[in-house]
Parts: sequence; C-alpha cells; structure tokens
Amino acid sequence: MIPLERPLEEYASVRTWFKGLREQSSVEPAGDPSRLKLLWEFCAFVDLDPDQLVSACLLIKEGRETKISIKGRRAMAEKIAQFQTQSAEGDAAERRRRGNTVRSFLIHNGILLQSGIQT
Amino acid sequence: MEYKEVVGRRRSIRYFQSWRPVEREKIQIMLEAARLASCAVNATFLKAIVVFRDDLDRETLEALKTPVSGLNIELAPVHIYTFVDMSAYRGAQGRLKKLVDVGALNITHGWSHKFVDEFVWPNILKPLAEGADQPSVAAAAASDAGIAICQAMLAGVDEGLGVCLSAFVAEPIKKILNPPDEWLPLWVLLAGYPAESWEAGGQRPRPPLEEIFFEGKYGNPFKPDPKVTERLKAAKMIQTPAPLPWRKEEIKALARMFGLPE
Repeated sequence: MIPLERPLEEYASVRTWFKGLREQSSVEPAGDPSRLKLLWEFCAFVDLDPDQLVSACLLIKEGRETKISIKGRRAMAEKIAQFQTQSAEGDAAERRRRGNTVRSFLIHNGILLQSGIQT
Repeated sequence: MEYKEVVGRRRSIRYFQSWRPVEREKIQIMLEAARLASCAVNATFLKAIVVFRDDLDRETLEALKTPVSGLNIELAPVHIYTFVDMSAYRGAQGRLKKLVDVGALNITHGWSHKFVDEFVWPNILKPLAEGADQPSVAAAAASDAGIAICQAMLAGVDEGLGVCLSAFVAEPIKKILNPPDEWLPLWVLLAGYPAESWEAGGQRPRPPLEEIFFEGKYGNPFKPDPKVTERLKAAKMIQTPAPLPWRKEEIKALARMFGLPE
C-alpha cells in the first residue's frame, strides 16, 4: 500500500465524511473507531489514500464541470464488493458493514453508489 | 380516504416492503384511475405495461437500474412502465365525434360532426398526428400522460400503497416488453407497501402558494386565505412539513433493516 502521508482523519475526504455522518445521518463518527479502521483496510486493499479513492470515481477535466466517472464508479463498486465478500472475518452482517462503511465514505463525498438490498 | 387527505398523504416512497406482494386488484384500480383521466381530443396518450418484479430475471432487473433509481426498482414489487403514445392523435377524429354523440361536446359550444370532419381534423389534428416529433406536440402529449399517471398514483395511495416515479433504462424494457416504436418511455411508477412510515418524514418542502401562482397578471401573487389554509390542515391535505423529528432515526432503522449504508 502507498504510505499514508498523514493520519486518516486529516484527509479532506475523511473530514467531509465525518461532517456528513454528523449532519446528514446523525451519527457521531468518534463513537465508533472501527469506521476508520475499515476505511484504512480498504485503502490498503486498493492501494489508494482516501482522497484518491474519491478522485478515482471522478472525471476531472480542466475548464469543465467535474463529473462522476461511470467506469471509475463501477470499478470502485466492484472493488468494494470484493472487499466485502473476500473478508474472512465475521459473519454476513459484519461483511456487509465492511462494504457499507466504504460506501458511506464515498456517498458522503458525493459519489452516488447503491449496493441494493443486503439482508 | 377523503380526496384531500389522499393528496396530502402522497409521498414519493423510496422504501418498500420488498417481500410483500401487491394485490392485483389494487393495480387494476390504479390503471382504471389513469384510464379515466382528462385527456385532450379524447386521446389516451398514456400507455403502460405492468410488470411484477419477481417475474423479471435477475439480469433484466439489473439492466433496468439507473445509478439513482436502482434501489427503488429493486425494492418495489410492482413496476408500471409508462409511455407516451405519440400515435394517439390518430383516430382523434372519430373519438371527437363520439364525444359529440354522447353529449360531451355540444352545439352550445359550437361542436358538430361537420366541424370535426371539415375543420378540426384537417386543420388541427391531422397536422399534429403527422408532426408528432415537434417538441410542442410531444410536450402536450406528455402533459396528458402525466395527468393520468398522477391519478394512478393517488389511487394507489388511496388503496394504502406507497408509490414513486423513477427513471429507468429504456433499452432492456424495449427488448423484453416490446412496446411499439411510437411509445416513448416516461417513468416507471413503482408501487408496493411502504416499509417506511406513511408520513415518510413529513410533507415535502414546496414553495409557498403565492410564489408560484398569480392572479390577474404575472407578478400579482395569488394570496391564500388563512381560513382556507386552516380548513386544508383540518382535512389533512396540508400536513406537518418535513423533517419530522424522528426521521433520521427512521432512516437509520431502514438502513439496518435493508443492509444499506448510513
């Protein structure tokens, strides 16, 4: 994995995530440190830092409005699904939580993702 | 349910009891409500194909989903794929004369078979039928289809269902349901029993009446009478606006129930 330049909480995308969790979802991120741990594991899984995860889902061209990249988002959704299903840890609920934590991170950063029902 | 309450209770429901089938009779009631809607030149512009989600194979269901509507499509047990039929102007001549025959279009207002045959059809309707690709013609047809869809939605709410209009990817629907080429895809009207409370967080924010409606001329707001507003609150047409205080907790509970992200 590329070495993280600073603690996860200091990345702009992580700050955006936490702000969204507090304001939109009424969830206090500090109350559950496992969120950051799972994000860190996913960063290691795809070899990207948190801000790069978001950028990988975007189409950024100078002088144009930034768009969500169809290919980038699809690839990320597949990586999340792999991250979720390949985990040897925990039961189905725990695996679902792994995937949804990463989805939550991206969604609060403006990347629309839908996983479908996971019961 | 009283009409005003039906209007007041309607929400775009985005969480359905995906496991609970909808009685076929309730879908029939929705379709009848659409069929009876007001329509220009007595042309039924709205056409629809009802699909029970569980009759679709997994691959097709996946292909229908847009990034935004995928979860709605997956959760709703009934999909009503709506189309605007651009061929509906055809035959309007005969249908208008039928309205003359049944006493809907009358001499009192200048209507006769001869007027239809010699003026309305050749001068107005025939050019519309032949120019269905003009934006104004398509807009008028889509407007009528929208009226019919709205009646179906309200009938669904009256039957205790949740309803929501969503976008869908037209290509796979064209492939599996085979609608005629002249049917242009509109929305999929999703129906099912709500998994969220019927309030769904409260009545959605809308601009005040006087901001969007005018009296006499543009710029002169149509001022609402507070007594009427109170009457509509009593009749449950105007309801507590969103967000209700417990909405975020409800969303969390729904997320847990369906295994969705927070």
